[in-house]
Amino acid sequence: MFSYFFLPCELNMEKLSDHFIWKSLKEGDLKAFSVLFEAYYPKLYNYGLKISKNASFTEDSLQDFFLYIYEHRENLSDLDEIAPYLFLSYKRFLIRIINRNNKNRTLDVSNETLIDFEFTAEEIMEKQETERFNKTNLPKILNGLPKRQKEAIYLKYYSGLKAKEIAKIMNINYQSVINLLFKAIKSLKEDISIMKLFN
Amino acid sequence: MTKKKYNHINHFLEDKSFNNWVYQKNATDINFWDVWIENNPERKDLVEKARDLITGISFKRNLVSKEKVSLEWNKLQATIKEKQIKPKRKVIFLKQITAAASVLLLIIASFYFLNRNPLITHKTNFGETLKIKLLDGSDVNLNSNSSISYYTNDSRKVWLSGEAFFQVDKKENTNAKFFVLTDDLSVEVYGTTFNVNTKKEKTAVFLEEGNIWLSLKNGETKKMKPGNFLSYSSKKNKVLEDTNIYNSTLKTSWKDGTLLFENLSLAKAMGKIEESYGYTIIFKDSKSKNTLITGAVPLTNLNICIKAIEKSTGVTITKKNNTLIISKK
Repeated sequence: MFSYFFLPCELNMEKLSDHFIWKSLKEGDLKAFSVLFEAYYPKLYNYGLKISKNASFTEDSLQDFFLYIYEHRENLSDLDEIAPYLFLSYKRFLIRIINRNNKNRTLDVSNETLIDFEFTAEEIMEKQETERFNKTNLPKILNGLPKRQKEAIYLKYYSGLKAKEIAKIMNINYQSVINLLFKAIKSLKEDISIMKLFN
Repeated sequence: MTKKKYNHINHFLEDKSFNNWVYQKNATDINFWDVWIENNPERKDLVEKARDLITGISFKRNLVSKEKVSLEWNKLQATIKEKQIKPKRKVIFLKQITAAASVLLLIIASFYFLNRNPLITHKTNFGETLKIKLLDGSDVNLNSNSSISYYTNDSRKVWLSGEAFFQVDKKENTNAKFFVLTDDLSVEVYGTTFNVNTKKEKTAVFLEEGNIWLSLKNGETKKMKPGNFLSYSSKKNKVLEDTNIYNSTLKTSWKDGTLLFENLSLAKAMGKIEESYGYTIIFKDSKSKNTLITGAVPLTNLNICIKAIEKSTGVTITKKNNTLIISKK
């Protein structure tokens, strides 16, 4: 029976931990699922768009992905961190669909490392925290970085994930994430210095 | 600001006070690190590396709008519901046949014996809600102090006064429309779920899923999408509200016998109680009017409802004849 006491549990679920939301979802709680959906839809949408480069395709794949999660909720394992799980399984889900649709297989993305993150000028803030990055052709230099470095950059600074979470998504250890990010930032700085010399 | 040894880049990255220093956030942290860097010149390189990693690159994070997310959620919810209903379809189908047969019988009977269609009316009192299954299989939840009427030969055209939540079955073979008529407008649908409220001299429509068309009394038509909430008054000849609602349960929880309040002032919450139970509300001190209230109260049990509100806001509510008097403890 529903008890009428003022426990604001139903309305403040977004403040509760990942662990609890995930557990409620596994029990079929649609409210918990909606909280999860609202929190991750925008992030996964942008992530999917970067991989597929097609807006309506990304939209459809996300509908299918979340439906898949809900339908298989009882078989999901227990989780304390939702973000890395969702990013990783969505990436795999998306790649599976792309490969299935791609009959002539000229664009084989079955190898995850081939995913190429491209950055556009509109996505990058004009005023950067690191002053040296201001007023440079940042997207061009960024896009020239190795693919793994770009993926790490994207997950860290665009999706706002923690290094620990990125490690799980990219299937490498914590230190490798730090190294990838550090190498990327370092070569950005060097490239910018060189460009400034010539301009 | 622990006395950790900062000899590895990770020590800096994971340190909250160091992060504060990078973003120049907390005066104590800024001060600490300024001094620390001055005293540890050999770590200058490491500090700079860590700072670069923390600031990184600033993206505009082209996030998806709230409207878009709520639209996509409604889409997903509809798919989930559809999948859950499917296995039961066969049973419903049989019911529909019997329903259709009984409609036919009624029509024939009315032609032969009455030569007119009887008008059926369902009515609820204060503090009472009613679930009705219409002859075409559609479900209606009628809120307190409300009524709907329809002719037996056409239960897909109903007149509403008060508030009701509709779950209309789609008639796929005939594409027959379903109409809800109020003093202000008519709602036109094929198959969907929505809420209509005609209390307070206006009609408010909230669409949970599907698409509906509204024909306002002033001749205007409007298409509504899931999550849209629109209210119109023919008296004022004006659309009063036209927004999106993300927490649909706030508008439709009454059909499960519950009123939900989310950060609502006590004055507004008591307004809802007034509507549902038909009691006049009197505030003895105006201060408690602004107390915010969040939670759920029952629609059909005034005593529990009063107790819950008293408990959460700290006011005393006394029942006297047809009034509820609210005073501070």
